[in-house]
Amino acid sequence: MKMRLSDLRPAFQGIVPSIFATVDGAGVPNVTYVSQLYYIDEGHVALSCQFFNKTRRNLDENPRACAEVIDPITLQAYRLRLKFLRSEKSGPLFDTMSLRIDAIASHTGMTGVFRLIAADVFEVASVECVDGFLTEPSGAPVEAMSIEGARTEMRGLQLVSEGINRAADLESLLASVLESLEEYFQFAHTSILLWDEANHRLTTMASRGYGDSGVGAEVALGEGLIGTVARERRLLRLSSLDADLRYGRAIRREAAAGAGVVDAEIPLPGLPDAQSVLAIPLTVGDRLVGVIAAEDRDPMRFNEWHEAYLEIIANQIALGLDRMIDRADDPAEPHVAEAAPTPPAAAQCRTKRRLTYYRHDDAIFVDDEYLIRNIPARILWKVLGESKRTGRTEFTNREMRVDASLGLPPVKDNLESRLILLRHRLQQKCPDLQLVSAGRGRFCLKAGASLELIER
Amino acid sequence: MLRCLEPGLSIIVGTTDAKGAPASCRGIAIASHDDLATVTVFLPVATSHEAIQNIALTKRMAVSSTNMADHSSTQMKGTTIDARLATEDESAYVRSRFEAFVQGLMAYGVSPRLARSVRHWPAFAVTLKVEQMFEQTPGPNAGRRMR
Repeated sequence: MKMRLSDLRPAFQGIVPSIFATVDGAGVPNVTYVSQLYYIDEGHVALSCQFFNKTRRNLDENPRACAEVIDPITLQAYRLRLKFLRSEKSGPLFDTMSLRIDAIASHTGMTGVFRLIAADVFEVASVECVDGFLTEPSGAPVEAMSIEGARTEMRGLQLVSEGINRAADLESLLASVLESLEEYFQFAHTSILLWDEANHRLTTMASRGYGDSGVGAEVALGEGLIGTVARERRLLRLSSLDADLRYGRAIRREAAAGAGVVDAEIPLPGLPDAQSVLAIPLTVGDRLVGVIAAEDRDPMRFNEWHEAYLEIIANQIALGLDRMIDRADDPAEPHVAEAAPTPPAAAQCRTKRRLTYYRHDDAIFVDDEYLIRNIPARILWKVLGESKRTGRTEFTNREMRVDASLGLPPVKDNLESRLILLRHRLQQKCPDLQLVSAGRGRFCLKAGASLELIER
Repeated sequence: MLRCLEPGLSIIVGTTDAKGAPASCRGIAIASHDDLATVTVFLPVATSHEAIQNIALTKRMAVSSTNMADHSSTQMKGTTIDARLATEDESAYVRSRFEAFVQGLMAYGVSPRLARSVRHWPAFAVTLKVEQMFEQTPGPNAGRRMR
């Protein structure tokens, strides 16, 4: 039976390593594992060239190659007869393959060492099922998407759009997006990071499906999977996280478990045993707004349909976020009903709190535990100081914007997102101290404990 | 160097026909009784007909032995000196190595039932005279000649 390459898409996800055989000019064979063979189109595949190795040298002497790929769902093996055509050192294919390698390299501290040299392109002369590989029939390759699934996801798209349009504020927009992704796409572990032009970092603003929310966790441009996606403004889908990545995460987990270490870092929300990741840049034109990330323990969780589909959703989210961030704090605008402040958790409340602002680190610690830093820290310190001096508890966004000492950018200042972040961090670390919204462009400080303010 | 004979390894084989067309095949087990002067590789009969044909024509073979947990890998190259059906006496060894391989596949998320459905018996036993041996673990030493 003649097979189509596109029927074997799951085998190109890199979940089970592929075999790659070549022969040199003297007729000596070479065989190796390759982590992933890339599907280009019905007649072509590509291999990433990271080192000028024996396989690469053999191809210069003899362009013929034989690859064996395995469908990770059915475990059926397929054999591809290939002819080496060319090495691409730039262009869309190179960029796509490079993004994955750069992201993994950055995530494992191997930037510059582990990098793509070229995308080696092959013509597929034939593809055949390896008959007899399994003792029982494997069945047909699994369809990527059913019509029923597509209908559900179109309904999901409609509801995500509605949620974005209906959202009264940034916080409800973020929550609505993540809720819709879980409800209609079963994406149970998601997070949204927003780009902060002022400190050139992405900050986690909302997450869903993680025990520890990770709100406030920051990522530099080009750092790790998410930072790489943001820098390149390109979607990244990893169907099987490499062992190196899992190893790196285990080290990070161990480091985070170290006792007695005071650390002004919040770990990114993440599954320690994630097998697949989908990270999508949120952009308006060329301008970065943020990144939306999803991960799952199922290595086959995200497929090409999700890529295409979520790019559409990502555009809507980016526009919605941009609109929300841009919205003026005009008190003349219709008043939006405010949610009641979250009652503080009794177990975490204290009668006295010591807040220390470390000027050198631009960070606030509460009772010796890291709370927040940068602009949100300066906002909180201003509010606390003003309240202590004057007894005032109500503040406006406008007065924050005109205070040059806070360092808010003159345009796209993300003030609302900084206040959301501040509220989340207070709720997590110091629930007896709250910043409660008091209508469009206003907020109140509510302190249920006596506060000791120290500046160092 | 003997790490390439440990249980649980993934064995893959490369061969060539007389015109230089490569072929690949998965092995099930590997053994050596003379300190790697020769190795015997067990290939499932069901999927190795092309490899056996190529060996008959050119006698050239490359065998790569990879630990799936840590990616450490060794490649041996040389000339085949024997190719025969594996005997019943060898079946217990092949089956025990196959079971270790199944455990490795399960680490990739493959279900035990599916992993055990990979055909492994009957098998050919192909003996290779090892002429060259290379480090194949990804990294700076990949390609270094070990012997």
